Amino acid sequence: MELRDPRNRVSPRARFLWAAEAVVQLVVVIAVLIVVTGPWDWFPMPWWAWLAVIVVGLGYAITMPTVRYVVHRWETTPTAVYTQSGWLRRERRIAPLSRVQTIDFEQGVLSRALRLANVRVTTASAAGPVKIKCVERYVADEIVADLTERTAATTGDAT
Amino acid sequence: MSGSGWQDWSAADVEVLAEDQEWRRLDPRMLLVHPVNEVVRFLPALVAIFFVGHSSSGDIWWHIGPVAIPIAIGVMRYFATRFRITGERLELHRGLVSRNVLSTQLDKVRTVELTSSPIHRALGLAKVQIGTGSAVKDGDEKFVLDSLGSGEARALRHALLHRRTAATDEISPASDQPDDEILLTFDPAWIRFAPLTTGGLLIALGALAAGNQLVGPLVHRISDRVDLHKPQHLGLTIAAAVVVFLVVISVLSVIGYVLTNWGFTLSRDRGGRSLHIRKGMLTTRETSVELARVRGAEVHEPLGLRLAHGARAVAIVTGLTKREAGNTALVPSAPRGVVEQTASTALGESEPLTMDLTRHGARATRRRYTRSLTVAGLLDLAWAITVATQHWRPGWYVVLVFPPVVALALAHDRAARLGHGLTDRYLVSRAHSFRGRRSILEREGIIGWNIDQTWFQRRVGLVTLTATTAAGKQGYTVHDIPEADAVRLAATAVPGLLDDFLA
Repeated sequence: MELRDPRNRVSPRARFLWAAEAVVQLVVVIAVLIVVTGPWDWFPMPWWAWLAVIVVGLGYAITMPTVRYVVHRWETTPTAVYTQSGWLRRERRIAPLSRVQTIDFEQGVLSRALRLANVRVTTASAAGPVKIKCVERYVADEIVADLTERTAATTGDAT
Repeated sequence: MSGSGWQDWSAADVEVLAEDQEWRRLDPRMLLVHPVNEVVRFLPALVAIFFVGHSSSGDIWWHIGPVAIPIAIGVMRYFATRFRITGERLELHRGLVSRNVLSTQLDKVRTVELTSSPIHRALGLAKVQIGTGSAVKDGDEKFVLDSLGSGEARALRHALLHRRTAATDEISPASDQPDDEILLTFDPAWIRFAPLTTGGLLIALGALAAGNQLVGPLVHRISDRVDLHKPQHLGLTIAAAVVVFLVVISVLSVIGYVLTNWGFTLSRDRGGRSLHIRKGMLTTRETSVELARVRGAEVHEPLGLRLAHGARAVAIVTGLTKREAGNTALVPSAPRGVVEQTASTALGESEPLTMDLTRHGARATRRRYTRSLTVAGLLDLAWAITVATQHWRPGWYVVLVFPPVVALALAHDRAARLGHGLTDRYLVSRAHSFRGRRSILEREGIIGWNIDQTWFQRRVGLVTLTATTAAGKQGYTVHDIPEADAVRLAATAVPGLLDDFLA
């Protein structure tokens, strides 16, 4: 017995978002290194160490989004939400709509520029938020409207 | 949707509330307790004022005033607190200058806890804490009645927990004196398990940190006479330190165990609606949990307890805050048989505790060995490098033997403990060596699945399956289960949920 992947891929532009995030992280790391090795002088940083940091950082920014794009998937049915996420680690989450408590629409600065959005579905369990990440904005709107309508029909306190 | 149970009321709402059922006050005996507490709280200020007053003037008000003010605050605190139960709401009115009205729906009440410190016990009082599982962290927002007479407190607890069946209660004449069925009473012989738990270790480390100033000079005096460079002195010192440490841990564990668990009683009310847990030597604590909120139990079998055929058990309850969840012990450290029997009675089934679990197979076993031997290898490597670079005597290389030996024993135990099972009502999962957990989660309480797979797990076809729930730790995990078994287990435990997603 095996689970299949969720049906829908995330937006192809999600790769740009992830790459941009990785580049931002690399810039932050380099800035911190400049401060601690320069003015603070905690430890020496030879030229090859700088090269290694940049190569690893750029390598991550190039490969991670591609791999992540293959892994990240989502699906909703009349009774459940099912997502798959991760990069080296693969995480699958399934929550029945009858136990859903809140449906949040989330958009960061970068994702707004790329017209992407996340949908976060929470249940009464702190261990179980299901996130549909980086879908087209209009798709996210549809998912929220759709899930809100379906969960409104169920009763009980969802615990 | 369950949000915060509490609401803030505007002044207009308060007016409306004022005309309903009778307001009740705290027990008048609190007129003795509150002022004393306030004086204690103001003590540092009082001492300061006393000395200042002494030196500056002989005015008698310098002595009476500072004591009178805290006493007045204590008295006013009593008069400022009122509460009542209306049809379906519980309201608490507090504050003199600033008005504060807390209100909650009765069906949000999840636990009722009665606590009596030695002072409270001497006066026959009990503090009532009402848990609604609300996410509010601010201590002021908690529904605490400090304090009522113990009889009144119990009656209130009964009324709060069993209001749904209040109508039937009035027919039965014995309802005022709930005749509880005792499931477990404390046996002093269980104290022998206390030193085997890790709780004692934590207490000992804390005490060591706090008592450092006392121990410090002693250590210095000993170290002056001992030459650690002589091997026989070093060996003796290490042996003595270990013995002293073990004795201290054991003594502290026993004290801790006795203080918390003396008089432990687990009972269930006759209607089978709630569990009452009563424990404590100096400060007694009575926690009541509605059985409808109990989603299972977790049996703790840490290595030490397991070797002595002991265990303990905790109830898995929905909608508790972390602090409340810490007080839901079903059985303190006790013989395994006692734990199994009590937990079966509380859960209504003995199968989840005694059944043979499905093993996770050779690949999961191999993964246990790989993981612990990798850690042992890294430790050995670090040790070897240290010995070599620091030019220590070659005799130190003997230490390299220990990590692999311990790792093999640990891996063997960890692999042997991996297992899962399913009964009509419960999902059972067992794992961990040192911590030794067997979690029993009601299938009805499962509100989703997380299936995680690391890169290493994917290569050998294993997954980490977590059942999410609103109770206890929020998620209970089946470790390193073969992927096909995981999907079958999840699909069987919660029928229908996975059907659309099967390949």
